[in-house]
Amino acid sequence: MHDILTPRERFGLLVIDERPDRCNIMPLITSHAATLKDMKLKDYYTNGENMARAQIAALETYGHDAISIFSEVGIIAEAMGSEFEYPENDLPVQRMPALMNRDIEDIIVPDAQQHARLPVYLEAIEYAYDAVGDRFPILAYVPAPFTTGMMLSDPNKFLMQTIREPESIIKIMEKSLAAAIEFCYHIINSGGLPVIVDPLASSSVISPRAYMQFALPYERQLIDFLHRYDLDVILHICGDTKPILDLLPQTRADLISIDKVSMTDAITKLSAHMRIIGNYDTSKLAFGTRDIISNEVTQLVKRSIHSRKGYIAATGCEVPVQTPKENVMAFINAAREAGWYWG
Amino acid sequence: MRDEIAPKKIGLADWSTQFRELDDSLIKKYRYYGNSEWGIYLSPPATFMVYGARELRKLKFDNSLAALRLWGFTFTEGERLFRAKQSGKHVIATMGDLGTVPVIVMAFPDCVPFYPDCTWWTPFFNESTVLLDKAGELGAPEASCFVRSTLAAFHKMAYFPKPELLFASTGASCDDYSCIMQMVEDMGYELTWLEMPYRRDHSDYYIGDDYAATNQGLKYAKRFESYLIEEYKRVWQKMQKISRTSEPAQLIESIRKNNRLRRLVVKIKDVVYNAPIAPLPGLEMMVIEFGNLYGYADIDEWLDILEMVYETIDHRAQKGIGVLERDAIPIAWVTPTADPQLLNIIEDQGGRVVATEYVINQALVEIEEDIEPFSALARSFLNASLIGSTADRIRRITEAVNTGRVAGVIITNMLGCSHCAMETRIIEKELEKVPVLAIDVPAPLGITEQLRTRVAAFMEMLKCTTS
Repeated sequence: MHDILTPRERFGLLVIDERPDRCNIMPLITSHAATLKDMKLKDYYTNGENMARAQIAALETYGHDAISIFSEVGIIAEAMGSEFEYPENDLPVQRMPALMNRDIEDIIVPDAQQHARLPVYLEAIEYAYDAVGDRFPILAYVPAPFTTGMMLSDPNKFLMQTIREPESIIKIMEKSLAAAIEFCYHIINSGGLPVIVDPLASSSVISPRAYMQFALPYERQLIDFLHRYDLDVILHICGDTKPILDLLPQTRADLISIDKVSMTDAITKLSAHMRIIGNYDTSKLAFGTRDIISNEVTQLVKRSIHSRKGYIAATGCEVPVQTPKENVMAFINAAREAGWYWG
Repeated sequence: MRDEIAPKKIGLADWSTQFRELDDSLIKKYRYYGNSEWGIYLSPPATFMVYGARELRKLKFDNSLAALRLWGFTFTEGERLFRAKQSGKHVIATMGDLGTVPVIVMAFPDCVPFYPDCTWWTPFFNESTVLLDKAGELGAPEASCFVRSTLAAFHKMAYFPKPELLFASTGASCDDYSCIMQMVEDMGYELTWLEMPYRRDHSDYYIGDDYAATNQGLKYAKRFESYLIEEYKRVWQKMQKISRTSEPAQLIESIRKNNRLRRLVVKIKDVVYNAPIAPLPGLEMMVIEFGNLYGYADIDEWLDILEMVYETIDHRAQKGIGVLERDAIPIAWVTPTADPQLLNIIEDQGGRVVATEYVINQALVEIEEDIEPFSALARSFLNASLIGSTADRIRRITEAVNTGRVAGVIITNMLGCSHCAMETRIIEKELEKVPVLAIDVPAPLGITEQLRTRVAAFMEMLKCTTS
């Protein structure tokens, strides 16, 4: 069958509770896009035009349904003072968290148009919006306050503080929230739809209690900010989220992107409240055979497309950088075959 | 907000800055269909840009809360129609007549009228050829009017839900639009066609008719009134088959409500076009005029918005403040532009719209309330722009020219629009007392420096003339 709608039209119907021609297909193709332009990763995440051009190349190669402006979750923390190294062909590596040598009171809320690589993201959004924004949603991934907070800190100390010094964590969260809001504000003005990502808030990292106390309230405040604009908000938490599934509707996210959790459980617990995105295993995507990928994605999509408020076929996490192109194609083709609503 | 901020035109980024200061309670206050879950619409232009309305980056908007409501409401119309259907209302397509059939539809409380043909603005707001290209694939070539985007919208069903009834006018209506509707019918949609009389007054060559005059003083053959009454009764009967029965009293109530809207728009136009300094930009005024067609699918909320607009502009006019320069050149605008940016460009060049003829005269006049309702609808429609002579059509513009209120006239012609092609020269002739600039509206993203230069030269010439 042939597509009837553009990706933008398709996404537009999904978020007003209408069934589009087929389910949206949005594997998290982020830095992997650089490989399609034979681009060094450093050239991807330090240059907005490069990032956008790589993303557009990915659309042309795979035919999926969204631009995904993103490289890694340290982007806001870096703009707040955490130091990163830029390997030639790898993602940025954190060298020094900002809070190792200063207090949270000394850290400023960054100006998204000036500080570190935030302008790179904005440039990428604007370039992509100009080029394909009439046909594709431009998704721009924004680290949630908890993830940024941990990227500002020594991770072990940060986790200990959640137990022993919760008040200091609250201060970090408040400032990280302010930074995320500022970044989102500029993303919106550039034409991007902010997608909240909070990988370090997953149950693979913190307990449900810590999630409820330190992550969820700030996810919700950030989402509330975006809801003022009447935007439909995607929240992505990779890793294990089974222990916090019941809590996720409290974030008030409109769409939830999940990873290491049973899709059946997710549909049972969340589909009355949220549209569900997910959750093909990225290890299998990178290392599996095309036949296995095709069969498993077909099953996943058939199981999920009738989720009550809608479904987006996606990977559970970012498509690994070196994933073979043919494997991504197998994912896309299988989702496209199995995901039809019309006719 | 009204008293705190000086009126001016602002861009998208400035609106975003201003929007951040708005209280949450205000955002939640305004809702279409009164629904608090999905009916909120008070969003800045940036929201609609994120969802694809790319031209908003280039446009300038009035900075009042009333204008914010106006834009938020109109840009959520597609969503509103889907929500209407989801909540059990019947969505009814009313096409081509431009203002009368929706009055009948609104008499049925569970029905919502809309104009699919208004999709012609979408390619321009989106700076996109998606709909136009698809229309080409479906058989409507690029030499046809931009209304061909409606054909693609019917194919895609992503811009409005599948209507339960489709009324389409033909006869003295736009011809490319009628062709497009025939193609929609060929897709399998069942259309109910209404034929519009081709001329109000044919006394020059047919002497066997009795004549009367509309409430606007336009002479018409009385049998056309009888004919239209029968057409509208057909609409009523069709509606009764899909909806809860509406009592005749509800049609009278619908007429009254639409009259309230029409009177309010007359008041707004009167203030905006006559105040020493324009209290509202021309672009917002075009949106307001077209709201008369069907209240953007929620006439109650639209009325409430326009009450706020009136309060805002009246306040500005009384204080002698506005959004354009005091010495802006007064111009009249004939035929609506498909590309909204043109209205901004004229104002950027020092112009100010003070009179319009947007081919919807029938939607701007009051419907008589003291006669039988179908007769009143017929008589109101007989004021239509396209069923009389060109002189009748532009009568208001001519008056404005003759009284010296207008220094120049801009006519925006649409590709493939045959009455544009046929009437432009006649209009120029009728309005020969003032300079006239005819612009062929280019396809989306087609506004060139050459076009800007033509507009600039025209405005410069008017400035010299008026000084």
